[in-house]
Amino acid sequence: MAPRPELVHWAFAAGFLLLGLILLAEAIVGRDVFAMRRWRVYLWPSIAFGIGVALWPVSVFFTNSTIHMLAHASWAEVAMLAGAVQLALVRGKLTSRWWTLSLSFTLLVSAAAFLIHEQNPWLFSRAAFLHHAIGWTLLVAAIFPLGQALQPRRFGWSAGFAMTWIVLAVMLFCDRDVAPIFGHLSQFAGGPR
Amino acid sequence: MRRLLVVVIAALAVPGVASAHATLIGISPPTQSRLDAPPRAVVLRFDQAVTTTAGAIEVFSVGGRRLSGAAVSGDHGRVVRAPLKGLQHGESYTVRWRATSSDGHTGSGVYTFGIGVTPPPPTEAYGSTGPTWTDDAARWAFFVALSLLLGTTGLRLLVLREPLPVRLSNRLYGLAALGGIATLNVGIAAFVMRAADALQLPFVDLLYGDLSPMATKTRFGVAFVAMTLGYAVVTALVLLAWILDRPRLLWPAFVLGLGFATGLSLSGHQGVEPNATFLTGLADWLHLAAAMLWVGGLVALATCVWPLAPSLRRTAFLGFSRIATVLVAVLVLAGTYLSISRLPSVSDLWSTTYGQTLLVKIAIVCIALGWGAVHHFVLWPRLERDDAPRGLRRSLIGESAVAILVLLVAAVLVNARPPAVEPAVGVRAASTLPG
Repeated sequence: MAPRPELVHWAFAAGFLLLGLILLAEAIVGRDVFAMRRWRVYLWPSIAFGIGVALWPVSVFFTNSTIHMLAHASWAEVAMLAGAVQLALVRGKLTSRWWTLSLSFTLLVSAAAFLIHEQNPWLFSRAAFLHHAIGWTLLVAAIFPLGQALQPRRFGWSAGFAMTWIVLAVMLFCDRDVAPIFGHLSQFAGGPR
Repeated sequence: MRRLLVVVIAALAVPGVASAHATLIGISPPTQSRLDAPPRAVVLRFDQAVTTTAGAIEVFSVGGRRLSGAAVSGDHGRVVRAPLKGLQHGESYTVRWRATSSDGHTGSGVYTFGIGVTPPPPTEAYGSTGPTWTDDAARWAFFVALSLLLGTTGLRLLVLREPLPVRLSNRLYGLAALGGIATLNVGIAAFVMRAADALQLPFVDLLYGDLSPMATKTRFGVAFVAMTLGYAVVTALVLLAWILDRPRLLWPAFVLGLGFATGLSLSGHQGVEPNATFLTGLADWLHLAAAMLWVGGLVALATCVWPLAPSLRRTAFLGFSRIATVLVAVLVLAGTYLSISRLPSVSDLWSTTYGQTLLVKIAIVCIALGWGAVHHFVLWPRLERDDAPRGLRRSLIGESAVAILVLLVAAVLVNARPPAVEPAVGVRAASTLPG
C-alpha cells in the first residue's frame, strides 16, 4: 500500500527544508567558515543526492497517471545527478565552477515538469495554484546558480538559492488539492474539502 | 504589499483535506480477478468526485462485443457504476474507463477479469495490439544500456584491477554511469509504450492514463518497478564509487546489476512459456548476462582503454580475452539449451517466424564469434610477444558493432512467442503473475 500523496510531499518538504536551512547557514557564515569542519561541505550535496535516490520509489509506486510518473522520474534523475555533481565538486573530482550550472538545469527541468503537468489556471484550486507557484518559483530561482557561477562569493545568490528550498518546502507542506484559494474556487473544481 | 504577503501565506498555510488528482481507490470486480459467477455491474470508486458520461465504463468480451450499459454516478460523484449483461462462464473480459476529476484532468484505465478462467494481463486486453517494432527497439536500447553498465563495471573489476590513470578511470566510470542512466530512462520509455498499447489512448490522454494495473498486475510491470529501483541504486553506487574513489563500491553495484537483470528473463516470454522451469529461467539469465558482459566489455575496451591507456592495452586485451572465452562458452551452452527447450522440433527452425529469427541470430552470433576467434587465436599470441598489430581498435569496434546487432535480434526474439510446446510437469507453480 502506497502512503497518501500528501504524506510523501510532506516528507520531501522536510528534506527540502533541511537542505535550505543548511544552505542558508552556509550563506550567512560564509563558505570559508562553514568549511572549517570538512564534513559540513558534504552535507547539502549528500542530502540532494539522497533526495534524488529517494524519489525513484515515488516514481514507480505512484503510477495512477503517466504524467506523475514521468514528472517524478525526471525530478529523481536531475536531483540525483545534481547531487552527484555537487559531491564531485566538493570532493575535487570536478573543478570547473560552471558545473554549478547543473543546478540551474535541475531547477529548469523541475519547473517545466510542474508547469507542463498543471493544465488548469492559477485560481482553479489550491493544487493548481501551488503547481503554478512552485513552477514559477523554480523557474525564477534558476538564476541563482547562474549568479553563483559568475560571482561565487556574492551573498545574494547563495541566500537566494537557499531561500528557494525553504519556500519550496513551505509550499509542499501546504500541498492540498480541492480547497479554496483566496476564498475562490472554480465551480469545476468540486466543493471545498 | 504586506497585506498581499499575509494573504498568500495564510492561504497556503490553512489546510483543507489533502488530496491529489482523483485516484481510483476501489474496483469491482477487482483487477485481474477470477470470479465464480458473472458480476451484475462494474463499480469504480474514486477518492473524490468525478464527472463521467454514459460511456465512462465499457466492458468488452474477447471478441470485442460490448456488454456494458450506460454508466451512472452516485455517492456525490465518487462512485461510477455500469450494469452488465450477457457475460458467460469460461470467458475473460476487458474493462475500459474514463473519468474527469475535479481538477479537470481526465483519467483513463484498463483492466481485465475472468469468470471461471484466469484473465489475461492488461497488456493483452481487448484492443491491445501486443509488442510492435517500437517495443523491440526499446528492448534493444535497454540491452545496450545495460551492457554498458554491466560490461564496463565488469571490465573494471575483473580485468583492470590495478590503480588506473585518472582519465581512463573517469571515462570508465562515466561510461558505466551513462549506461545506468540510459537503463533507467529506456526502461521508463518501454513501460510507457507497453502501457500505451494496453490503454489505446492518444498521447494527451495517455498522460493521465492509469498505469497501476500494468505496474502491479503484469510480470512486465513488476519487473519494471523492481528493475527501476534496482538500477537507480546501482547507478547511485557507480556515481559514489567515482566521487569517493572507492572502486570497491562497484562490487555491490555489479552484483546487484547482474541480479536485477533477472527481471528481463521474468518479463519476457521465457517466464510464461508452458514448459518454463527454474532451469530455463536460469539459462535465460545466464545467456543474457554473459552476452551483456561480453558486449559491454568490448565497447569499454575499444572506447576507453585503447585511446586513453596505451600501456594497459596488452594487459586489458589478454585479460578480457580470458574472460570472454568463459562468457562465450556460457552464452553458447545456455543458448543451445534454450533453443532446444523452446523449439519442439528441428523443422521449427525454418518453418516458424521464431525459428527463422533465431537462425538469423545464430548467423550473426557466428560472425561475432568468428571475429572473436581471430582476436583470440591470431592476435593474442602476437600481443603476448609484444607485437601489437595495427588496426586492433577498429577491429574491436567492428566486433562490438556485430555484438550489438546480436542484441537487436535478441530483443526481437524476447518479444516474440515461440512455437507451442507441452507444459513441463510441475511447472508454473512459482508465480501467479501473467505475462
